[in-house]
Amino acid sequence: MIEIKQLAKKFKVENPKKLSEQEKKDPRLKGRFFHSVQNVNFICDTGQVLGLLGPNGAGKTTTLRMLSSALKPDSGSILIDGVDVLANPIVARQKIGFLSGSTGLYGRLSGRENIEYFGKLHGMSKSAIQQKIEELAQLLDLYSFLDRRCENYSTGMKQRVSIARAVVHSPKVVVLDEPTTGLDIMATQTVLEFIRTLKKQQVPVIFSTHHLDEVNELCDTVTVIDEGKTKYNGDLHSFRALSNGSLHNSFMTSIEKG
Amino acid sequence: MWLVFQKEIKELLRDRKTLFFMVALPLLLFPLIFGGVAYFSGKAIEKAQSRVLTYAIIGGEYAPTLSAKITAQDGLKRYVTKVQSDNVSAITNLVKSEKVDFVLVIPNTFNDDILKIGQNKLTLYLNDAGLNMVQRRLNKIIDNLAESNRDKAFISLGIAEEIQQGLLEPIVIDKISTADKREDLGEKIGGLIPYMIFILCLQGAMLPATDIGAGEKERGTLETLLISPISRNQLVLGKFFTIAFAGVTSAMVTVGSLFVWGVLLSQGMAIELITEFMGAISALDFVLMFAMLIPVVAIFSAVLLSMSIYAKSFKEAQGYMTPLVFIVIIPIILAMLPGIKLEGIYAWVPLMNVALAIKELIKGTMDYMALIPIFLSTTAIAGLLLTFCIYWFNREKVLFR
Repeated sequence: MIEIKQLAKKFKVENPKKLSEQEKKDPRLKGRFFHSVQNVNFICDTGQVLGLLGPNGAGKTTTLRMLSSALKPDSGSILIDGVDVLANPIVARQKIGFLSGSTGLYGRLSGRENIEYFGKLHGMSKSAIQQKIEELAQLLDLYSFLDRRCENYSTGMKQRVSIARAVVHSPKVVVLDEPTTGLDIMATQTVLEFIRTLKKQQVPVIFSTHHLDEVNELCDTVTVIDEGKTKYNGDLHSFRALSNGSLHNSFMTSIEKG
Repeated sequence: MWLVFQKEIKELLRDRKTLFFMVALPLLLFPLIFGGVAYFSGKAIEKAQSRVLTYAIIGGEYAPTLSAKITAQDGLKRYVTKVQSDNVSAITNLVKSEKVDFVLVIPNTFNDDILKIGQNKLTLYLNDAGLNMVQRRLNKIIDNLAESNRDKAFISLGIAEEIQQGLLEPIVIDKISTADKREDLGEKIGGLIPYMIFILCLQGAMLPATDIGAGEKERGTLETLLISPISRNQLVLGKFFTIAFAGVTSAMVTVGSLFVWGVLLSQGMAIELITEFMGAISALDFVLMFAMLIPVVAIFSAVLLSMSIYAKSFKEAQGYMTPLVFIVIIPIILAMLPGIKLEGIYAWVPLMNVALAIKELIKGTMDYMALIPIFLSTTAIAGLLLTFCIYWFNREKVLFR
């Protein structure tokens, strides 16, 4: 179970002149600081898939980066299976599998070597890594290209290896930051299939997306954030009920209401 | 940490472009440069020596012996002219219009008997810009005649042989240098070697450094690496050692290839000189040179890694790194200046002290006490920079720019 409470993060603005017009108008810009995330809360239970929605620049990526311990929050708490991410970042990292749409691979290593490297970084034994790669290769159908260099992979192949790399250490929670952005339909399908598998294995998944059909298809709960604050928390059913029919309307309603 | 190091090295070895610049280029470039220069200059000299020279003699009838000797010489071709010795512009024209390579003017006072005439003065017109062997080839003939004329004069004067020597060279200085061959040669090339090694280390480290920091950012692998359960210190050290290793390897490969090809190509005399020179430098000196390079490479690596991780892209990283070469050159150039010795304050100036020490070691005049300030200052600075690098790697502002 993942529990995020009153998360906040501000960034120092080095050069106010460089900010875009939109950023200058943003109410989160206070003096020399941009309060990217101000108050984000959500809970994701075992076996649940949580969809994190919000317009561009709402603070989704910053939230997920804090969750994955790449960034340090200014205040608030993150608990993964009761472990405080802030107090024990290294322990927490072993429990998280993280993947974003822009994640790359080491081009001069083969897919297998990429996965092995991260397995080793996670302190896994050689045999355990081999076993896990076998398992993942079957699940994600990697066999035909696993031992070739990544620089020659297609987008879909890359994404499948990236998924395998993200979960090689059997994480307790999987965090996906816009995992389907920029992918073709086939590659997107692979990612969605993979989320379903995780759900079956009772692994909680938190993923941010702009595609409401993905939310409709996969999510149990929905969290909407805008301007760094949680605007909506609830299950898919009640989210849909926010307006009659389309999820797009529900999304707009949740932002306007909050 | 070794995990990161191993992986980075593996990736580095598979990068053909980097490998080419690090290994293949120095291996091939040096023989090409050396061989090329030696081949072409050798060719040019040979050509100048064996080329048939066209010449004209004005007043040859006054010096029949000399004229006969010149005519008998191989590789010279006579051009007959009616120009008189006082017509300087016509003589000059002969040379300028390339009708002849040289004109030798013999005065009508010429006489083989020195005791009658004293010194004979000949005039040689030639184009002396550019490579030519005219004078050297002509001197061979003339010196020969001059000597025999001199000997004849000595004999007719009845001067004993020892006195003859004294008349020719009344005082001779016998020079004995207390500097042995090693010190002499070391002074000449000792300044260049640290210069070359430093720049090579820096260049060799630069490509992998760009790849390891800015490259990870650009390819989107950095974020994943940062959230894997490895501490930042370990991550930095792994990357740091990769860059340092690449720098040292590249410098060693280049210096090695330089040495091997130098020995191979400079045959005969030079080979003895080089082996003798290298033999005079003890194994301890080599070890010391290498040991001093370690903190230097550490300084380079820490700076390069800090720059690379700050940059958003390869291009930006290269932009930061290029001026570094010029900064590094300054203390080395200063160390090459005459009069600057490994003493006092200079022993504490990083890079410069190592450059000076390498020169001293090559010359064989090292004051081993100077090693203390050298190691203290370079290691302290390397340590500081590495600490900064680790601090830098922990800054969110740097990693997520």
